[in-house]
Amino acid sequence: MEEQPSKFRIKDLDLFYGDNQALKDVTLEVRSHRVTALIGPSGCGKSTFIRTLNRMNDLIDHVRITGDVLYEGVNIYADYDVIELRKRIGMVFQKPNPFPMSIYENIAYGPKIHGITSKSLLDDLVENSLKAAALWEEVSDRLHKPALGLSGGQQQRLCIARVLAVEPDVVLMDEPTSALDPISTSRIEELIFELKKKYTIIIVTHNMQQAGRVSDTTAFFLNGVVVEYGDTEKIFFNPEDSRTEAYISGRFG
Amino acid sequence: MDVSNHTILSRKKEKAAKALLWTAVLLTLAILLGIILYIMVRGFVSRQEKSYFVSPFLEETLKSEETGEYAMKIIVHRQVKISDLTMEDLRTIYTKSRAENWGHYSMQDKRITALAPSRNTPLGKAAETLIAGPEGGFGSYVAYLEDDEEMIRRIAEDPAGIGIIEADTPVTNRKVKVVPVRRIVVAVHPSVKEIIDNRQLSVITEKELKLVLSGDITDWKDLGGHDRPIRLIRPPEAWGLDELVSPSDIPAADSPEDFFRMITDLPDSLGLCFYDDAAAGGLSILEVSRREVKGNLTLSFLLEPPARSGKWGGISTIILNTLFLILFTLLFAAPAGVLAAIYLVEYAKQGPLVSLLRRGTETLAGVPSIIFGLFGNIFFVNTLGLGIGFISSTLTVTMMILPTIIRTSEEALKAVPLSYREGSLALGASKLQTTFKVVLPAAVPGILTGLILALGRVVGETAVLLYTLGSNYELVRGPSSSARVLSLHLYFLFSEAISFDRAFATGAILVFIILLVNYSTTRLIGRAGRMSG
Repeated sequence: MEEQPSKFRIKDLDLFYGDNQALKDVTLEVRSHRVTALIGPSGCGKSTFIRTLNRMNDLIDHVRITGDVLYEGVNIYADYDVIELRKRIGMVFQKPNPFPMSIYENIAYGPKIHGITSKSLLDDLVENSLKAAALWEEVSDRLHKPALGLSGGQQQRLCIARVLAVEPDVVLMDEPTSALDPISTSRIEELIFELKKKYTIIIVTHNMQQAGRVSDTTAFFLNGVVVEYGDTEKIFFNPEDSRTEAYISGRFG
Repeated sequence: MDVSNHTILSRKKEKAAKALLWTAVLLTLAILLGIILYIMVRGFVSRQEKSYFVSPFLEETLKSEETGEYAMKIIVHRQVKISDLTMEDLRTIYTKSRAENWGHYSMQDKRITALAPSRNTPLGKAAETLIAGPEGGFGSYVAYLEDDEEMIRRIAEDPAGIGIIEADTPVTNRKVKVVPVRRIVVAVHPSVKEIIDNRQLSVITEKELKLVLSGDITDWKDLGGHDRPIRLIRPPEAWGLDELVSPSDIPAADSPEDFFRMITDLPDSLGLCFYDDAAAGGLSILEVSRREVKGNLTLSFLLEPPARSGKWGGISTIILNTLFLILFTLLFAAPAGVLAAIYLVEYAKQGPLVSLLRRGTETLAGVPSIIFGLFGNIFFVNTLGLGIGFISSTLTVTMMILPTIIRTSEEALKAVPLSYREGSLALGASKLQTTFKVVLPAAVPGILTGLILALGRVVGETAVLLYTLGSNYELVRGPSSSARVLSLHLYFLFSEAISFDRAFATGAILVFIILLVNYSTTRLIGRAGRMSG
């Protein structure tokens, strides 16, 4: 596999919820145009970690962060505008969360708040985003129907389309398939495969098979610490740490 | 299959509980429907038992011995809402020196235009003798016309017109109607009206009178008098009233004088005669009551402005005042309340200050409105010197409903899932954009419900308005003009005993407004909620 330039460089990251330390001394590098999977048992800090990358943790009171998170070499906690950051780094959540608007309005929401008003431009963006999220065929005839009328899998792909409409650079996915049925899950996985060509993807997953299927690199979190980080194949078939091996083989988690 | 005792017991308990629930449900329904139906029925129909000096017998053609062959009839414009007039009313209308108002007779606030045939014609002379009575002539405001054609034409043009024409003249103009007059009275021997056992017979019903005249009631006892037979007297033929008295084996009067003598001399006697004759003969009169069923809540009641403290006219200005009050209160209170709620939920740091604010609004929402009235009167009316009027009351009512709006909007905003906010923020939206483009629209149904609750309080509010809005029943003209809204109008109609019928009609309108508002909100909420699945 050829070397890709680094997208994120995280150094000595500590995160506290009040007195409770959720991330300890996390240091890792995320490469561009790869799928990076974050795995680990519940409460290990993988969701907390992914939320530091687009500063979603800012929404929670009493959060304290130390260390550096560099996105393309810029410290996102010091030298980056949070709105600009989130525009560049989109996020798909665990539970599909389309807004209570029409399908069209859901997709057009992002571009609109970033100042795009031209109707034809918006129309194009909506169509392209839906196509990129493999949803266009299913919804092109009911764009102005409520988004909440879609099935769970369709809603999640709509959420992905919504992120793509803002034309991000990185897409963060926080357990995007945990609320979906197997068929919807496999469609999302296929989609991730497609998206990898254009975007850098970081995905948190509970599902080890999924991590194995979709990711190029994998980080194994345990109690807020990155135990092991490397190529997915190596993590899955030849882990260095005994804890990683124990987790992969299903002995805990 | 064996059924255990425990199962049987459970079944029985289940049945008993169901029966209890159903009783409660039916009782509630019965009470609800009962109250609403009662208000609606009393609001729409006025039913009154009214007693009159004259009996309910109607005469379209009027004549008397003095007027000889000149018979006449009374005509009015069709818009005058009367079905008949008593002789007393007619006399008052024509003999007053200043213009009389239809309000006294039809509750319509308009000056009567009284027209009479010229005094130079025989009909004119006859009319003045008959209608003005023995005591005097027509009032100075009565206008005189030369012939019947002109009379009909003038009345057709004047919605407050009343006139007198010859009995034979046909009325073909559709804007003019003939009004029958009631001038037949029930004359009795004074002994009939004596007090016996603390009771006095002074009024009989229309039905009773008919039974007496047909010979079906023959004893005074059946009418509530003493236990003696009724001695019916046949009026003299000259009056033309004998058709109304059926029994043939009764003493008949040959002449009016004979009739007067018989009524005054024969104990327990009863006979029919004319109003003026009874007065001239000094006879005792038995009043007759009749049931009058009329439309109460009519279109004209809604469209006419009130007059004489609401006794006459309708409630048009009051409905408009109510709408203005609602509109302006919501105009002040809705943005302020919703913005305050947005601050409390979305922006404020949840600390002791916010919880204090929250507790404060909760307390204020439950404070009796009279206290707001007191506050409004002291602060807006006096301290700020705004005076009793529209602006003071609008501000006071705004203060009163603000806590409710804040509380309900807060709940509505809190009910919006956090995931919507996260979704929006993760797309790079600012907090302001997230709040106004995602959170607020999603909270609209809940906020609307709160506004409607508040609106209901405004519509039903009386105590606050009593101190801050005053009691002027005209249309609001400006910020400082005193006014009256529906609930206040109802209060005055009731507390000043102006008219219970009108109070009920106003109440029915209030109930209607609430129903309408609730219905339209349900529709509105339905429309707003459609996008959320």
